[in-house]
Amino acid sequence: MTSLIAIGAGIAALAGAGAGIGIGIATGKATEAVARQPEAEGKISKLLLLGCALAEATAIYGFVVAILVIMFLK
Amino acid sequence: MESLAENIMEELNCETVFTIPVLNGIGVSESVVITWVIMAILVILAIIFTRNLRVENIGRRQLVVETAVVGLKNIVGGIIGEEGTKYVPYLVTVIIYLGVANLIGLFGIKPPTKDLNVTAGLAIMSILLIEGASIQKKGVKKFLKSFAEPVAIIAPINILEVFIRPLSLCMRLFGNVLGAFVVMELIKIMVPPILPVPFSLYFDIFDGLIQAYVFVFLTSLFIKEAIE
Repeated sequence: MTSLIAIGAGIAALAGAGAGIGIGIATGKATEAVARQPEAEGKISKLLLLGCALAEATAIYGFVVAILVIMFLK
Repeated sequence: MESLAENIMEELNCETVFTIPVLNGIGVSESVVITWVIMAILVILAIIFTRNLRVENIGRRQLVVETAVVGLKNIVGGIIGEEGTKYVPYLVTVIIYLGVANLIGLFGIKPPTKDLNVTAGLAIMSILLIEGASIQKKGVKKFLKSFAEPVAIIAPINILEVFIRPLSLCMRLFGNVLGAFVVMELIKIMVPPILPVPFSLYFDIFDGLIQAYVFVFLTSLFIKEAIE
């Protein structure tokens, strides 16, 4: 039973993969945008921060679910 | 390994410090007490810093305070726009509280935002403010009508959004702070003295401040959207 719970928590933590890909793409595009228009850096970094926070949220949900699985199925 | 798991579990739960003996006893948890301490610190700092304010010949202390206040006001005011100026003081208060609450982990105190109830309370306050701003701006009739915009068929999704927004605000803050806390505790247990320092810079300082900013950023973005 314990190992099954551990596997479940591990699967929930896979949500981090999506967030990683999303933040990677966003940062790559932001770098391109800054290279193209260096004067718009302030606006771009603000948008990047917001996008990263939103993309990161999915990973955080995965983490919260993993913690809840461990805590409540014990 | 067993003791490690126990250690972390111990850090995770929020203990009740004392109970108020009314109505079967109301439990006052640790996060509430730490919040009181933060409130006391902020209020005392506010009183100290706002004494002897002058229009001319300002002192260095007043200069620092004015820079900080105007800077924070500009950050929030820039997002929310001209129309939402009256909501700026609340949002600045929230950003200061969240910033201090997330940074307090540096001193070895459990950050109150690690308690789900604190972030849930903040998120509920945010959604009440958002919907209240919308009602005040549009009136009840137009507010109800705004759920059926742009087409009536997406009304269920619009209503669902009222519940999803605070949920995601609350979970984002809670998960980030909890995650940073757990990782920091693990690092502290695994490799004690010097190695935690650079990680602490990221997890305790940078991440905490970013999350405080993101919480207020999203709230003001929603308010701006609501009063448009």
